[in-house]
Amino acid sequence: MAYDQDLSFVYFGPTKIVFGNGSSTSELDSEMSALGCSRAVIVTDPGIIKVGILEKIIKALGNKCVGVFSDVPQDSGMDVVDRAAAFAREKGADIIISVGGGSAIDTAKCMCILLTEGGSLADFEGIQLLTRPQMPHIVIPTTAGTGSEVTWAAVIYDKSKGQKILIVESYNAPRAAILDPVLTAKLPPLLTASTGMDAMTHAVEAISSIQREPIADAMGLHAIRLLYKHLPQCIQNGSDLAARGQVQLAATMAGWSFGNAMIGIVHAMAHSIGAVAHVPHGVANGILLPHCMEFNLPDAEDYYAEIAQAMGVYEKGSSTKQAAEAAVKAVFDFTKKIGHPQKLSEFGVTEENIIKAADMSMSDGSIVNNPRMVADSGEVLAIYRKAL
Amino acid sequence: MTAYNAFTQEWMDAWKEKINSSKEYKEIAKEWEGSVSITVNADPSKNVPEPVYMFTDYWHGDALDFLICDEAKAQTAKFIMIGDYARWKQVAKKELDPTKALMQGKLKLKGDLTYVVRMVKTINKVVDLLTEVQTIFPDGD
Repeated sequence: MAYDQDLSFVYFGPTKIVFGNGSSTSELDSEMSALGCSRAVIVTDPGIIKVGILEKIIKALGNKCVGVFSDVPQDSGMDVVDRAAAFAREKGADIIISVGGGSAIDTAKCMCILLTEGGSLADFEGIQLLTRPQMPHIVIPTTAGTGSEVTWAAVIYDKSKGQKILIVESYNAPRAAILDPVLTAKLPPLLTASTGMDAMTHAVEAISSIQREPIADAMGLHAIRLLYKHLPQCIQNGSDLAARGQVQLAATMAGWSFGNAMIGIVHAMAHSIGAVAHVPHGVANGILLPHCMEFNLPDAEDYYAEIAQAMGVYEKGSSTKQAAEAAVKAVFDFTKKIGHPQKLSEFGVTEENIIKAADMSMSDGSIVNNPRMVADSGEVLAIYRKAL
Repeated sequence: MTAYNAFTQEWMDAWKEKINSSKEYKEIAKEWEGSVSITVNADPSKNVPEPVYMFTDYWHGDALDFLICDEAKAQTAKFIMIGDYARWKQVAKKELDPTKALMQGKLKLKGDLTYVVRMVKTINKVVDLLTEVQTIFPDGD
């Protein structure tokens, strides 16, 4: 894959990865000690307690667990962060351990800022304002898709503004992520498929982003290899821990990939249709990805040809264009194979919704990194119509 | 073409003039509302002995106040951008993409990041127009 002659980039990925079946209990104590910490507050949501995941983790920590904050809702807010940070302060915590999906992880990221810097989260709305490492944070993800365990951005709802705020801080990347395939074994097939397609979208968009670079490409391409091979196995047999583990690793690698090289039109459109019609993020990405690849094809042949090789659908002797087309077809086929929803209308999306979302997509920041320049909202609307 | 010393009022006036005469900017920035301050950290080794504070204000495709100011005025802006002299020079010479610079921690931004992300094309255009101003930098080139 060719890169610009004046290629210049910074690759950032400081999070330590600990992987293995049962690692969320067997390795947690030693990872805490390695960070010089002995008083952990666990941050999670009620669903995690309900499925019995937390009990084992608390037991593994013994008296090093000084408290559990389990009131994290699906879209966590600044008020939740304030309460959780006050709780951790009162307990004398010296480390935060998040157990769950994106909402618990982002709540914990924001808590670490308040526990280190004090003040209000509103003071830190922005990008790269911090000047020192924050309170240590270990992530134990229970889904495989967002890549949040290795990214340094957090999204939190600000009730006073009625909108989500974004905090991006290199100093606030989690210190370690413990990837335990056992924790994802009970994810239902649809959630497995949509979170997996979220990871696939991160990888494909990072590889074809105008900010692409070789290290992020390597991460993204291997993530695609693993997802293409192992995600269908997870759908067929949820308790196949070997496959679950490879998908978890793929999601983490895709997180590093897009965290450094950024994302494109698929995310711009998924954010917008999510805001307009509440289509879950992973589902929207999975439905839109192949249609957007089709749109990008004229300007992304080289990158998609690499993706074809990663997927194993490259035929010897075929041209770059043929290989790129094979990659697009393979993604379409893949979504069907894993039983992923195919149409936005399955989630109640209407023509009126997509007209509004097409306009919104044009002002979403992700679109500027897309390999093909998007001329106007009419082009976005045409893609939405194909996916409707 | 006249060349201007960077971080002077004349230089800022020339930048504002470039923005206000750009039809493309007017179209791209028709929804932008609010001010942006720029702080250039001191770097005595590059002939920037004190921090420089600049205040720029924009409304629906028009550039309004463009001022060299003090720290207190800079703090009143809707968005506050801070960086070392060497980084700002790279941006002004189109050697460093401002969005990349933010992501990589080479520049800092305080304010509603979701708004900035939505309006990134406006920011890129403002910077593009700055690169059209012939500039004499404090350290000589």
